[in-house]
Amino acid sequence: MRFWNEEHVMLSVLLLAWGAQFFIWGVLCWVLWWTLRSRIYSANLKTILTLFLPLSLFASVLEETIWVILFPRLPMGRPPMPFWQRLSFHLDAELIDSLVLFWSAFFLFRGVGYYQRYREKERIASQLQSQLVQAQMRALRMQLNPHFLFNTMNGISSLMQTDIAAADLMLEQLSRLLRITLHRGEAQFIPLSDEMEFIEMYLAMQDRRFAGRVQQQMNVDPHVHDAIVPTMILQPIVENAYAHGLSRLSSNGLLSIDASSQGSVLRLKVTNTGIGLRVAAQKAASNGVGLVNVQDRLRMHYGDDHSFSISELEDGLVQVVLTLPLRFAERPIEQTTGYGA
Amino acid sequence: MIQAVLADDEVLARQKLRQLLREFPEIEVAGEGATASETIALVRATKPDLLFLDVRMPDMDGFDVVGELSAAGAPVMPSIIFTTAYDRYALRAFEIHAVDYLLKPFTLERFRSATQRALDHIRVSKQNPNANAPKSPNGTPYTTRIVFKSKGRILFLPVTEICWIGAEENYVRICTQSETHLLRETMTHLEEKLDPNIFLRVHRSSIVNLQYVKEVRPEIDGEYGVHLLNGQKIPMSRTYRSKIKNWLER
Repeated sequence: MRFWNEEHVMLSVLLLAWGAQFFIWGVLCWVLWWTLRSRIYSANLKTILTLFLPLSLFASVLEETIWVILFPRLPMGRPPMPFWQRLSFHLDAELIDSLVLFWSAFFLFRGVGYYQRYREKERIASQLQSQLVQAQMRALRMQLNPHFLFNTMNGISSLMQTDIAAADLMLEQLSRLLRITLHRGEAQFIPLSDEMEFIEMYLAMQDRRFAGRVQQQMNVDPHVHDAIVPTMILQPIVENAYAHGLSRLSSNGLLSIDASSQGSVLRLKVTNTGIGLRVAAQKAASNGVGLVNVQDRLRMHYGDDHSFSISELEDGLVQVVLTLPLRFAERPIEQTTGYGA
Repeated sequence: MIQAVLADDEVLARQKLRQLLREFPEIEVAGEGATASETIALVRATKPDLLFLDVRMPDMDGFDVVGELSAAGAPVMPSIIFTTAYDRYALRAFEIHAVDYLLKPFTLERFRSATQRALDHIRVSKQNPNANAPKSPNGTPYTTRIVFKSKGRILFLPVTEICWIGAEENYVRICTQSETHLLRETMTHLEEKLDPNIFLRVHRSSIVNLQYVKEVRPEIDGEYGVHLLNGQKIPMSRTYRSKIKNWLER
């Protein structure tokens, strides 16, 4: 009975000692992680030999010392020994194990460091990629704007000679257009209703220039008002319709813009009368940077998930059709309506 | 004679206002302020009926001017028309009951309508200082104006100018005599805000301003249609027909 009892005590002390050993190593590794992590990542052979090799010996001895102080009754089954003798006995038995533990921790930390740096590099690379795309977008959009800006200013300039009120109105409309553009800032996508608002303004200005020669129609399915589209995606197409088609007609021009959805696809259609594609292409050496830009932007945003086609329906009638994935804004659209007296 | 004060830090902007005001012989310019403090002093001294106020001025902004004037217990606040190049203060301007909000550059046309509105406003408040707007069942007065952004400008639209309103999914289209505006709003919410003595829901997706209704007549298919003064025709549904009957019999 007494024997069994002794055995029981021995077992529990052994288990405790074993746990304590791992606990002390845990604390040491934790200290190592917080204080020397960056040195571990960057350590070269010299630092390893001059700093970490002595450190590994020191840490092992330290751990063993603490442990020996905590468990004076070990090793069991031997006559009681003084402290130094016990320390040397345990060091003799476990120094190699301790060193292995230390160096395992060392290389584990180093591995984690490599992994983190690898992830960081990857993140920066993807950020750069998106910045690059954004910069390209900006550049493309800048190509769209001034073109139109200067034309309009020219229009204002000519109106100033003849009709001051009309010049005033056009200047105000231009300011409104610029205000909308500035407001959007760097937004890559906007609701279709905003894009159509912009187009309406643009058309109002063109209407003034073409003084009733062109009949304009817009049919937007209410269901797609909220669909998001790339900013300034329709304007270049409409501009193109005027530049290469409608502007060459002296009367009875027709421009129609249709937006509708077919399942999960948003379909935008711009149809205009004109002189037909082939004749237009002969007259204009470049068929507009605008359309190429539109195609580039669609490709960047949607990959293969879109279509763009330009075709001649019958004599002079040209149709551009875009299809994009039908998407809606995740966040609700800004509300700026107020009521009152 | 109506006294007006012009407040803008740019001399050219003040000049433009002064020039445009020549069209209104009943308005006399009582003074010009180039800074907010100058304007406050000027308003206190001359007690104008109308104040053209820039938002961004060197010392304080236009709202500080209004705050200062109303805090000092000015007996009568002038009617205020904001003139500014910034559109982001519009809702605030609306909340302090500004008459209008002109975005620079503005046209003569736009200036005219704003000033005319201010004149009407001043005339009404002089005749009848305690006029009350009709109240809705829950006690809040019906809206007389709606503020919103449309096509790059700010509109303080008096509801009397609305001819009819049509629903388009999550939007409503507000049609005036000359223009249409798409607003992100629901028919139900809008209907609650509008005075039912003036605006009538004739269809799930349309509300008409009765002032602009010419006639209601049956169509070939047996349905009724509402014909507006400008010739537009709005279909009317059966469920709402009894309502218009009630209105006709009043």
